[in-house]
Amino acid sequence: MATAAVVVDAQPIAPEQVSLWSDAWRRLRRNRLALVATIFLTFLVVVALVSLVWTPYRMSEIGVTQTYAPPSSAHLLGADELGRDLLSRLMVGAQVSLVVGVGTQLLVLAVGVPIGLLAGYYRGWLDSVVSFIINVFYGIPDILVAMIMVFLLGPSLRNIIIAIVVTRWMDMARLVRGQAFSLREREFIEAARAAGARPLKMLFGHLFPNALGPIIVQATLGIPAAILFEAFLSFLGVGVQPPTPSWGSMANEGVAAIQYAPHMVIAPSIALSLTLMAFNFLGDGLRDALDPRSRR
Amino acid sequence: MFTKGTLIYIAQRLVLIGFTVVAVSSVVFVGIHRLPGDALLSERLRGQAYQLLVHHYGLDQPLIVQYWNFAVGVITRGDLGESLVNRGLKITPLVLHELGVSAEVGGLALVFTIGLGLVLGVFAAVRQNTWLDYVLTTTSVVGYSMPNFVIAAFLILVFGVWLQNVTGGTFFYQLGGWRGDFGQLWLPAFALGFPYASIVARLTRASMLEVIRQDYIRTARAKGLRERVIIVRHALRNALIPVITILAPLVIGIITGSVVIENFFGIPGLGKEFAQSILNRDYAIVIGVFTMYAAMVGLANLLVDLAYVVIDPRIRY
Amino acid sequence: MGCATRSTRARDARKELANAILSVRNLRTQFKTDAGPVKAVDGVSFDLFPGESLGIVGESGSGKSVTALSILRLIPDPGRIVGGQVLFRDQDLLQVSDEEIREIRGRDIAMIFQDPQSSLNPVLRTGFQIDEAMLAHKQANSRTAHERTVSLLKKVRIPAAESRAKDYPHQLSGGMRQRAMIAMGLANSPQILIADEPTTALDVTVQAQILELLADLNRELGTAIMMITHNMGVVAGLCTRVIVMYAGQIVEQGPVDQIFESPQHPYTWSLLRSIPRVDALRHERLRSIEGMAPDLLRPPKGCRFHPRCPFRIEKCLVDEPRLEEIHHGQIASCWVTMDRARAEMKADELRDISPGAASGLRPGEIIP
Repeated sequence: MATAAVVVDAQPIAPEQVSLWSDAWRRLRRNRLALVATIFLTFLVVVALVSLVWTPYRMSEIGVTQTYAPPSSAHLLGADELGRDLLSRLMVGAQVSLVVGVGTQLLVLAVGVPIGLLAGYYRGWLDSVVSFIINVFYGIPDILVAMIMVFLLGPSLRNIIIAIVVTRWMDMARLVRGQAFSLREREFIEAARAAGARPLKMLFGHLFPNALGPIIVQATLGIPAAILFEAFLSFLGVGVQPPTPSWGSMANEGVAAIQYAPHMVIAPSIALSLTLMAFNFLGDGLRDALDPRSRR
Repeated sequence: MFTKGTLIYIAQRLVLIGFTVVAVSSVVFVGIHRLPGDALLSERLRGQAYQLLVHHYGLDQPLIVQYWNFAVGVITRGDLGESLVNRGLKITPLVLHELGVSAEVGGLALVFTIGLGLVLGVFAAVRQNTWLDYVLTTTSVVGYSMPNFVIAAFLILVFGVWLQNVTGGTFFYQLGGWRGDFGQLWLPAFALGFPYASIVARLTRASMLEVIRQDYIRTARAKGLRERVIIVRHALRNALIPVITILAPLVIGIITGSVVIENFFGIPGLGKEFAQSILNRDYAIVIGVFTMYAAMVGLANLLVDLAYVVIDPRIRY
Repeated sequence: MGCATRSTRARDARKELANAILSVRNLRTQFKTDAGPVKAVDGVSFDLFPGESLGIVGESGSGKSVTALSILRLIPDPGRIVGGQVLFRDQDLLQVSDEEIREIRGRDIAMIFQDPQSSLNPVLRTGFQIDEAMLAHKQANSRTAHERTVSLLKKVRIPAAESRAKDYPHQLSGGMRQRAMIAMGLANSPQILIADEPTTALDVTVQAQILELLADLNRELGTAIMMITHNMGVVAGLCTRVIVMYAGQIVEQGPVDQIFESPQHPYTWSLLRSIPRVDALRHERLRSIEGMAPDLLRPPKGCRFHPRCPFRIEKCLVDEPRLEEIHHGQIASCWVTMDRARAEMKADELRDISPGAASGLRPGEIIP
């Protein structure tokens, strides 16, 4: 006598539905480099915030110790050519870098995204004009123009940010334009158009959210590019003015004394390198997390 | 390969470059001349001597006229003017000489970049997921995350401490002719090129990985070709296409990065001249150098676009 | 259609020599995934005889392409051939060295692929890619290779062969590209040509031309063709013998006309039945096989087709059937077989072909 059995057909297991963002978040979390980078950046932000109210010594105070003093217990990173505490200056320098990095990208987003969306979606003469302008800007050597601009307008943090934005907004604009280009052919845009969506809603309600992934990646990777740019400018002497420390200008001062006081150039160099690395790893992690085709 | 369409394209691009150079240099021209004070004033000349000089340089004329004279001079005679600081020093020969210096360093850096970058990238791709791959990949991110002066400083520290033949600090480049010592040039060239080599390596690796998974590679394997032939002849040529895309910004990056490196090492090239002239307020030179740079950038862009035509037969303008 | 009728081909088939040039024995290929190994090919055995055209038919995921790739050891990571033998000229291809298999590829056994657009290198000239096949195996020097390439292109009926050879793949039409690929495959006069869905990516009219070309080449050159396809029509037009695969295994095998007339495995039967007929009454619904392709990670217990089979019985849920000879030259793995389904379950009049519809063993039923 056969035992009773129920005929159950094996149903294929339906894969769990995930949205792009939750999937991306999960992938990002698994990326250890990105995680370490985020921790470091959080630490950096904390340091910068702390330095707003407190640093071990006043960063502009000359002669708190012997000039060119090597690192000691009182001065963890030593002192510079004017006897200023390097650690304090480094901490304040973090403010500068972060402000420049994030500030430029916010502006670049504000300028580049709308221009890119308009050019990519509407095409036609608008796109021709915008593309032409973008190409002209790409023909400009950025550091030179930035140097001249800063020199003309005066070396302040605000002007540096403006100079960087003016020379680098095209990266974002071109990216967004490309995204808008390919997205506009997709069915959901056609559907929205058929449903009578108004231009503003079309651009910012439909196109923009779908292009958000690459935009975020570009902005994240734009931060270290901007910080690097500012470091170059400061290194060349057209950055923020003393006594405000910038890691770039600190490195410049350090290079002059490299033979007998190497700590002066090492500290800001490491700070710069680690910060740039962290942002780059984070940006890479974001890119891999958001790319549906990425491989294991 | 160079069809009529391509030649028309080249002509169009040259016009565009000309336009850009004119537009950009005129903006700079105007901007600079609005600055209070100039090299002449700083010498505290008064009265007639000053007026004479002003007239000599044409600074008493309306801006438009000044620019027109400048533009005409550049286009017809290639004359970029005369230095404000060093009277009688013609800018064009000065700039051309310094261009040669910069080109040597920059060219060497480019060789580093492409050579090192491609080789490492291909290796990392072929040995994917081995420890070599991980080392190379991480090193490359480190590589392009470090400012070139940091790399330079690091190299000086290392080589200045361990080897005596490099003097730390300011680094003098023998002005004794074109063939500068490779031993003196490699350090700045390496510092200049290493970040870009890292970028190239990364991109090459990613590109190779993509290409290796393509169907035509499978076909090549099914034909019984040797692995080496498959990598070099079939994979690499296709993998290079995205690399060429970044070649333009890369060359421009080397050009602008050389500004920093030259100032760092005291190399008497265009970049150093530019920074120095700004500080000296020798605006004539500033404009002259800038115009030169703008033209170089435009040409670099054009050359890269033409490189596409050579590599990818599907692209024809 | 070509001038050879089915019966002529069948006669030729029976005249073939008894010695197989390729013997696949119990081939097993798996792909490693996070969730475990996916058994893409799970115990496949068959022979290929000189000069014959063998069709391997199955839906996506049945393992037919993987079988072909395994023969030449072209399985990419994370795939691995985990068992079995591929016997060719007294050698087991799965055991020979890398260098030896490289020599066999393209020279003795050639393979052409589905999408000629992506299967040809876009930056190299078409003619050169064919020359390469010969140069790699030192079958010619560059001059003679070029001459032979042009004559090959003519043989595959590409007009203006001389100038076409200098063209890049993107300058050719889809049909011409596929012909060029065939020329590439035949460059060294291989004994076996494996064609992996060569017509799937082409227009219907071009498909017919390519198939005709392959049939003619098979006859003229005596190259054995292993044709992988999901299209029964292609098999009918070109092949003498056919293998039907499902879920990584062979479920039926035999001469083409026999299989078409009297398929024994319910899957084959359903496949043939699902081909829409021009003369069908308009109110008849399109007949498709219910259910989805099986999960190769955890294949169904017993017969792998049972979740979709209208004729399943108790035994099918529990025991895996083995390939047995049902009629002369025709083997199938089924506990029921269509003979019995026709006799006992009125298979021919069946309207509803949902699982268990004919045998009464529907999903959810309790078996006493």
